[in-house]
Parts: sequence; structure tokens; C-alpha cells
Amino acid sequence: MQKRNTYTELEDFLSDESFQSWILNKIDEDGWEEWTLESQQRAKLVEDARLLLLAMKVPSSTLSASDIHNALQSTWIKIEEKENQNTLISHSKVKFLKKYFLSGVAATLVFGLVSVWFYNNQIVPKNNVITYKELIDENSEGLVEQTNNSDKPQIITLSDGSSVLLQPNSKLSYPKIFTGNERKVYLSGEGFFEISKNPKKPFFVYANEIVTKVVGTSFRVKAYSDQPDVEVLVRTGKVRVKSNDLISRSNQEEVVLLPNQALRFVRSDLSFNKITNITQDEELTKSVGNIEQLSFEFTDIPVSQIFETMEQAYLVDIDYPKNKLKDCHLTTSLSDQPLTEKLKIVCNSIGNNTSFEMNGNQIIITSQGCN
Amino acid sequence: MKTQNLEYKTFDDITLWNNLKEGDEKSFSILFEKYYADLVNYGNSLSPYTEKVQDCVQDVFTDIWVYRNKLQSTVVVKAYLLSSVRKRIARLHERDHIFRKVTSTDSIAFLLEFSVEHDLIDDDYATKERVAHLNKLLNDLPARQKEALYLRYNQGLTVEQIAEMLEVNYQSASNLLYRGLLTLRKEWKGSFSLILLLSLTTC
Repeated sequence: MQKRNTYTELEDFLSDESFQSWILNKIDEDGWEEWTLESQQRAKLVEDARLLLLAMKVPSSTLSASDIHNALQSTWIKIEEKENQNTLISHSKVKFLKKYFLSGVAATLVFGLVSVWFYNNQIVPKNNVITYKELIDENSEGLVEQTNNSDKPQIITLSDGSSVLLQPNSKLSYPKIFTGNERKVYLSGEGFFEISKNPKKPFFVYANEIVTKVVGTSFRVKAYSDQPDVEVLVRTGKVRVKSNDLISRSNQEEVVLLPNQALRFVRSDLSFNKITNITQDEELTKSVGNIEQLSFEFTDIPVSQIFETMEQAYLVDIDYPKNKLKDCHLTTSLSDQPLTEKLKIVCNSIGNNTSFEMNGNQIIITSQGCN
Repeated sequence: MKTQNLEYKTFDDITLWNNLKEGDEKSFSILFEKYYADLVNYGNSLSPYTEKVQDCVQDVFTDIWVYRNKLQSTVVVKAYLLSSVRKRIARLHERDHIFRKVTSTDSIAFLLEFSVEHDLIDDDYATKERVAHLNKLLNDLPARQKEALYLRYNQGLTVEQIAEMLEVNYQSASNLLYRGLLTLRKEWKGSFSLILLLSLTTC
């Protein structure tokens, strides 16, 4: 703060952050008030600078926190689209040379494929229904299967950090570790998915006849093999749904779902019904789970309460040193994060070597209190 | 009561920027949340198409993430963002007025109106008058001078950064600033005595 003694021009004051904060926010951290009164000449200069600052305010923003949150969401969607586009372009460059060479071969193949398709469709009665078992048999990666036979939802954490809240009477099959460029899981029944973001490795949920593709988001899939419909409901991010290649060989439509949109797939006639207003749909609203109703936006909230919210949402038990953390408050946004990610953020924020350990639905936090 | 904020929030811009370059999505999101509203405000002062401005700002962030490997590691993040938004909007104008063959960012006029601090409770009537008068003088300045003043004193950029943004040399940028304030000072001195007189008579 010594440098202000050398100020002789209006400009010096105008660009001084501490001075600005005194005038505009009335926060006088550096004792400007006293300093000003030290000399008459100085007081005049300060007054001029003050008036000028008061006269050049900029209208403040009209965007709310949720506007900004939404803008961030749509930016991630733009990023995904641009990245997809970029890979398409580089692919097509390579293919350009091959194309002419291969076009003759391709024409012959197309003719052959069309005949086969025609044959299949005309002669062989087509099997339209796919169930979980058939899907699993298709996959050769060596899957782990988890079944929820209890009467409460169960949390499953996948190797990429994504979490799945599996409802009673439901099954999920997934590889122990995701390898390759895709993450594929198979669902029978109902689950709420929170996927960790990774644009390079899209996440696929195979459920009965439909395939749901995402990059990082949260959504619910309901696909019981004995029910006539399959439902997908999106909470955050963007999701693409199409029917499984096993039932339709042609390049059928792909439905894009945005937050709070849903889709019902009618298994008997393989049709998609998009539902843009989920509050009007009785079937969907009556089955909204805990996790979809709880807010994970916290402003200066005691850590204990944040843990309690997580316990309710994921039906887990969180054990933490209550005394050591009783004075800790956090401001953080945990929406759209899988469970492990949420725990990681909270632990990092508490600091002091705070860590967590997870065993099934039992979570143990070790901490020495917050800073 | 003890309050602990998210650790990330306390990181400075350049740390976040370099994390982002490494592919850290959290850092990207924090920078986004920190600057989005401000950039939209600035964008709105350059373009009358409010609905496209948000798109432009989002495109700037999209490119930052998609081409993060090519970003320089030593930048002043705020200046970089403001400058990128300005270029985006200039490009938008180019496309819209394709027949005018405008190629530089000169074409965009700074439309922002400075406003007056409203809660001057502890100030007397005369002060309020003076502030209002100064505000009018500021808003009557040529657009480029106004923008230079805004970038310098509202956004806290250095003269070098302003020169780079407005695509002029250092001297021209400091001239813009100097002339802006000079006009104010001249007009101000002249009219102050008048206002002072007026306020004396009203007392």
C-alpha cells in the first residue's frame, strides 16, 4: 500500500483495485479514509476519482446461477458435438482415397446384403423381443452380474466411478473394468444412472430392445422383461436412445432426450414415444425416486447435513467423525456427479487428509476436521 | 462458525487454466461459472443480438476445451476470454453483413451505457447531480474511448492488453484512454463551477 503515496493522477486511483473496492463496495481494507484526510490536495484528487468511479458503473448481470448452470450444460453438449464432428472429419479424410477403390466392391456387397435382408424379412418370422438374457449372451467380455433381491434400492459403483442405483427385482451386468473405447452395461429392471463424464468413452445402457447412449449425465432406465414398455427419463445432460441393432437392421431413428424429457418404447410395435412434459405423465411421476428429488446444491451447509442427503439419496450408511466435523460448512454443487465423485469433492473440500472408503453400501470417512 | 469453500474455488486463474489444459473438467467448469455472466455482459455491449451473444460466449468456451492442447500456458485468462468474445462477435457481424466486407474488429461499436451507482444515500444533492453529469459525459464519449475506459477500469486490463484487443499499438491505446479522461476533465472543470453555483443558490 506504499505505492499510493506516489499517486498524482486520477488514473492511478481509478485502476487501483483496493481503491475501487472502497468506493464501490464500501470495503476499506487499507484505510483509505484516513489516508485521504492526511492532505488537502490528496482529498481533492480522491473526491474526483470517487465521483468518476460512481459515474461509470456497469449494469450488473441479469443471469441467475441456474442460467449459468444451464449455459454450462449446453456448452458441454456443444463440446460433445464438436468432438464428434472432428473425429468424423478425420475419418472421412482417410476414407476418401479408399472410397473409389472400394466403391465397386461396396456396390456388390450392398446388392448381396439387400438380398439377404429381404430373405430374412420375408421368409423367416422375425423375433422382435430381446430380453436381458439374450443381450448378455451376445457379450463376450466376461461380465459381473449384480442382482437386487432386497426391497430397497442398491448402489453399484462401476470401475469408471459412475454410480447406478439399482431398484428391487433388477439386475445389472457390467465388466469388472471397462476396456476399449466404449462402456457397455446391461440392465434388466430399473436403475438410476449417474455417469462420470468421459467424451472419449461413451456409455451405453442395453435394456431390452433399446440402447441408451450418453457421455456423462444422469438418467433413469426402466426395462422389466415382463412389461410391455421400456422407459428412459433424463435428469441432466443429453441422452440418445435407439433400438438395438439386433431387432432392426435398417438405420432407424435415434431419439435425443434433454433434461426432464422421457421416452417410452412400446415393445409390441417397436415405436418410440417421446414425452417432453414428464409432469403430465402419471406413470413417470409416481415412480420418481428419492435421488431425483433431492437437491445437491449446497450453500454454507453443515457437512453432517450433506452426508445425510447422500445417505437418503443412495441408501447408504456414511460413518464419519461427528465431533471433528461438527463445525464444518461447505458451499458446493454436487448435482450431476456420481456418488464416488461427490464423496471425493466433499473430502477434498474438508481438507486435512480427509478420505473415504467404500464397501458396498457402507461408507467410512476418515478426517481430522476441517481447516 | 467456520466456513470452508470448495478448495478449487480458491485456485487462481492460471492454475485452473493449466489444469484445464491437462483435461480437468472441474477447472473448466469453475472458470466458466466465474466469467460467464461478465462475458455475456461485455458481449451484449458489442452486439444488439442478445440471443446470439450467449451462443458466442459458449462457443468460445467450447473451443477452449476442444483445442485445449493448443492453448498457451502463460496467458492472462480474463484478457484472453474478453478478447476471444470480441473476435467471435466481430465474426458474427461479418457473416451477417457479408456484403459489407468488414474484416476487422473495428467494425463493432461499443454500445454499453455506463450507469450511476444508485445508493448514494450519504451524499448530498449536489454530489448526485455531479455524478449524473459525469455519467452523461462518459456516455457521450466516442465508442472506442468508452470501450478502452471500460476495459481499463471496469475489467482491470493493462494498456498492453487493451492495445492487443483493440488491434492497435500501445501508444494508440494509451491515447484512447488519455483522450477519454481529458474530455471529461475539461468539461468537468467548466461545468463544475456552474453546478457549484447552482447548488449554492438552491441551498
